[in-house]
Amino acid sequence: MSTPFTELQMDALRELANIGSGTASTALASMLGRPVDISVPNAQALPFADAVDAIGPAEQIVTGVVLDVIGELDATVLLLLEESDAATLCGLLGVDPEDEMAASALGEIGNIVGASYINALGAMTGLELEPEPPVSATDMLAAIVATVLTGRAQGDDIALVLDSQLAVEGEDCSISFVLVPTRGGVEELLARLGLES
Amino acid sequence: MAEFMVRMGEHAVSSVAGDVLVSLGLGSCIGLVLLDRRAAVAGLAHVVLPALVGRDTSTPGKFADTAAEALLAAMERLGARRTRVEAVLVGGASMFGSASAGLEVGQRNDVAVRAELARLRIPVAAAETGGSEGRTVRVALESGRVTAKPAGGEEQELYAGWKARVQA
Repeated sequence: MSTPFTELQMDALRELANIGSGTASTALASMLGRPVDISVPNAQALPFADAVDAIGPAEQIVTGVVLDVIGELDATVLLLLEESDAATLCGLLGVDPEDEMAASALGEIGNIVGASYINALGAMTGLELEPEPPVSATDMLAAIVATVLTGRAQGDDIALVLDSQLAVEGEDCSISFVLVPTRGGVEELLARLGLES
Repeated sequence: MAEFMVRMGEHAVSSVAGDVLVSLGLGSCIGLVLLDRRAAVAGLAHVVLPALVGRDTSTPGKFADTAAEALLAAMERLGARRTRVEAVLVGGASMFGSASAGLEVGQRNDVAVRAELARLRIPVAAAETGGSEGRTVRVALESGRVTAKPAGGEEQELYAGWKARVQA
């Protein structure tokens, strides 16, 4: 599979994701009062169908929190939590996972963590970025990811997926982070890093 | 039994009794199923967007205005007749409720697929579209049975297929 981006460009995008998720992990750690580890991000430029497969099993039930980025970059940040991760996070926040408060608690985590990720991207690139209020859904992974990709579709089939994981130390709990910029958005990010195609 | 995954933008047809055509986790996308009972031929397209964007016609299954024609042409090669073909639709959900316009593709996909079917004079035999839940669609060539399954829910029959007709 050929990617439209060079290895150097992909490295730079991976580094952006790394710093973004590092900032997000700090936000999550202060919310939970626990250390949070981050994984080395995975950067892949893939056709839509392959992007869905790369993110996870199609029918797995996950909670997705979606933050659209507005301003000088067209992108969407998607946070994905497996059911057990969502329950653990609720527990750490002192909310019953079965309670109706649970969805809003998770939305708030998504909001704070996602917004700090977006702010870090903005600070690194000098782009004026602002997150929209989050929306969330709990459903099959493919349905959530495909709908997010589709919302950003501009006719070309390639999605850049910057995937990293936040893991709460001492708990079996992690959040996947996916940044989905549009093709124009990727060009803008690369241009700001001095790596335009 | 072989399951064939029909992923975003893809389409597939079959007349092999053991085949099952599957699209997992349709959100705003539409699983467009076309069937010819008499010929026992079926096709499934995983429609992503309401209308062709640009001029790239290499993935006709991706767009509501090109998917049905692509399926029909491939089904005719397997012995189907377009005058006998019926449609079943699954998907087109609004996954994020009243989200931003960019995420409201589901409803537009549903409208566009139905408009194209009307233009081609293909009747819609059954549909499970809209709402806010993702769904998996399965088309079993052995029986012609079409089912939809919501997240964490039970598989539900939308179309009985050709076996029902034979037994009747």
